[in-house]
Amino acid sequence: MKKGFYIALLRILAPVLAIVLSALISSIVILSIGKSPLQVFYTMFKFSLSRMDSVAIILYNATPLIFSGLAVSVGFRMGLFNIGVEGQYLIGAFFAALAGFSIKGLPAAIHLPLVILCGAVGGMLWAFIPIFLKVKRGVHEVISTIMLNYISYSLIHYLIADLFIDRSQKLIQGLGSILARTPKLSPSAMMPKLHGFLGLFGLQLPRHVYLNWFFPLGILTAALIYYLLMYTPFGFELRAVGQNREAARTAGISPERVYIIGFLLSGALAGLVGLSDLLSYFGYMDMDFPRNYGFDGIAVALIAQNNPFGIIFSAILFGFLKRGAEGIQTLLGVPRETISILQALMIMSIVVITKIMNDYIKRLEKKEEVRLCS
Amino acid sequence: MEKAVVLKGITKRFPGIVANDRIDLEVEKGEIHAIVGENGAGKSTLMKILAGIYQPDEGEIYIFGKREKINSPGRAIELKIGMVHQHFMLVDRFTVLENIILGAEKSSGIALDEKRCRKAVEELLALYNFSLNLDARVEEISVGQAQRVEILKVLYRGADILVLDEPTAVLAPQEVRELFNNLRRLKSEGKTIIFISHKLEEVLEIADRITVLRRGKVEGTAIPSQVTKEDLARMMVGKPVMMRFDKEPLDVGEVLLSIEDLVVKESSGRPLVNGVSLKIRGGEIYGIAGIEGNGQKELAEAIIGLRTASAGRIRICGRDIADLSIKEIRDLGVAFIPEDRHRQGLVLPMKVWENMMLGYHTKKDFLKGRSLNLKAIRGFTKNKVEEYGVRLSSIEQPIEGLSGGNQQKVILGRELSRGPKVIVASQPTRGLDVGAAEFVHKELLKMRKKGSAILFISADLEEVLSISDRVGVIYNGKITAEFRPEEVTPEDIGVYMLGGEKGAGEAK
Repeated sequence: MKKGFYIALLRILAPVLAIVLSALISSIVILSIGKSPLQVFYTMFKFSLSRMDSVAIILYNATPLIFSGLAVSVGFRMGLFNIGVEGQYLIGAFFAALAGFSIKGLPAAIHLPLVILCGAVGGMLWAFIPIFLKVKRGVHEVISTIMLNYISYSLIHYLIADLFIDRSQKLIQGLGSILARTPKLSPSAMMPKLHGFLGLFGLQLPRHVYLNWFFPLGILTAALIYYLLMYTPFGFELRAVGQNREAARTAGISPERVYIIGFLLSGALAGLVGLSDLLSYFGYMDMDFPRNYGFDGIAVALIAQNNPFGIIFSAILFGFLKRGAEGIQTLLGVPRETISILQALMIMSIVVITKIMNDYIKRLEKKEEVRLCS
Repeated sequence: MEKAVVLKGITKRFPGIVANDRIDLEVEKGEIHAIVGENGAGKSTLMKILAGIYQPDEGEIYIFGKREKINSPGRAIELKIGMVHQHFMLVDRFTVLENIILGAEKSSGIALDEKRCRKAVEELLALYNFSLNLDARVEEISVGQAQRVEILKVLYRGADILVLDEPTAVLAPQEVRELFNNLRRLKSEGKTIIFISHKLEEVLEIADRITVLRRGKVEGTAIPSQVTKEDLARMMVGKPVMMRFDKEPLDVGEVLLSIEDLVVKESSGRPLVNGVSLKIRGGEIYGIAGIEGNGQKELAEAIIGLRTASAGRIRICGRDIADLSIKEIRDLGVAFIPEDRHRQGLVLPMKVWENMMLGYHTKKDFLKGRSLNLKAIRGFTKNKVEEYGVRLSSIEQPIEGLSGGNQQKVILGRELSRGPKVIVASQPTRGLDVGAAEFVHKELLKMRKKGSAILFISADLEEVLSISDRVGVIYNGKITAEFRPEEVTPEDIGVYMLGGEKGAGEAK
């Protein structure tokens, strides 16, 4: 039993070690541009964590990554690589926006859930194409989802710059041209911020912070995904298919059915990725709607090793890095790309270190068995 | 006569089994020496030792009279030993020439000197009279040609001793002819050939001498002109030592599994199971004997629904299963112990208790509402672990950490504890040590007593004869003979297993 504890400890230690290792390597990068690594890291921490509003911004940054990390991890768990979270969340966000600006006069208690549902459905629809092609025609999901990402970019462009462009915009003195964006969402579709709730505990957040109820919703979703994976027959089937498809099939599980349901679930989660930004900060969808959450989700899921609770932490870590990047840029003049390097190094070291760790753990377990048998 | 290879007292042990037991072997230079034996007799292990893939635990190896240690495949090549594997190791997209020279390219400076390479290979082709288009891509050529590429690969690297691992297994008859012509040509040029096979006609035709392995030991060496196929079969199969089981007298019930004229084809259209019919009653064990690769695996997989029948019918308890899913077939009460437990039987990285519910995770007693009843599943696992004496540190441990025997116990516990009507046990004791194998036998006999119909497939003749109430011999996808174990001699079965005709062994 003591050994079990030791092994669990090693598992948790792996990502921590990876973070430390990547920080060490990126120190070299920082040194090479003539800055002090210690000062950079100190500034990152101080800037990000010394003020309450900054912490709230970190959590706001983390919110979409929780959903995209979960979406990617559901795919990974069944052995599929959903690179299409990127496209799925854009389509999902558009569906949500559509339901948000075209429906009017509903109470928020109905409108907001409906908008969120539309986001999930949009992501799901976009995810259905690659998984249908895979199950029916054997098209590799990596290829089809990458392609669908490009299609989604162009489609979104067309939808918001042409088909659904807000023509009621007023031009300043009749000059220039109108912005390529959708109409504004009805207030009933917007997600309330957490300010009021936190105010009850005496925490006052300034207006420029957009931390909203999607953050707790993300944590709740992670818990639900964890429950689904570990405590339901379907979650078990999903994991079994991911780890040994042939054995699962032999046991009477249909991998194809698992793939379809699992991928649609992944798409539905992806559909929620953009909603925190859409329904609190933007209030409309335009050409500057944030990109890359889908790809960041892959990194988040990797670092968390597809553990839903781990994903919350790694999403917050990414939120922190983003915030810290702003800090070192403004205060020290260190380019924010330094943080991109740090992130990349982190992903690489986590892959390497978890591999080493898992092999080591396996050997420990083997040894134990030998001891038992002799 | 110079000896190309001399092995003295080669022993190789794996956990639980001795794969090679003090093997002595002499191969003369310029001869074709065949090594025959059943699956698991130790042929492949012996060859892997020669090729430097395995290291023997004991014994000495002499190559051309010099004592050598072959501690790596690279060393084997230095000693001019070339392996031609059963499964080709070729790059499909490369041409024949590129495959032959790959890894041993001649170069001028840093550039590949294709002309020089081509010339060297063409000389080899001419010398050994091989016909091959050097510019064809490997993906376009036939299996027989691919094999020639493999042979050329080792010749190009200067091999004088060629080891061919079941080279005819993948070939059509006319390709076998051509291979034999090539081999004779190689021999006449002074190459030494070690030829592994279990096809006796071929061995008798091509070999100068034949060494028979059985259960990891050398059973004897023979000269083809002085032995018959029956003699060899007897040497290979041996005299089965019947294991003694406390077997209840047969008390058969209704027919639970019935198969009529079953045909299962591989994707290319070649029949793997070719018209098998059999009926198994409750309380009966039907054994399938035969050399591996004669359709046993496909037969088992058709019953569980992993393969679809192209013709014929399978009925479980009278129900035709043609349009049923695997899950529906299992729900009829079919338990399956797959031949390859790592690939089909277990999810290795998952915990022991998770593996214990695999396939049964939607059974009522494992559910609480719509969620898994983890308490019940863990409890069930603990009971089975205790009942079967599975050795583990915790049921939370990934099952890959367990030994083969303990893994198989988990599969048995899972598959046998729900009162199955039909049990398909495909090589259930493969790779297990004696104790674990005995355990499997006992459990299956218990199920027999409880009235299950059991299909028992094994390449181990002694095992099949000992445990079964009836035995069918499968050869080339057909049941070529059927009898009760007590009314047959091992010679008869040996002949049937190796494709002999009815009447040749006078089975009663």
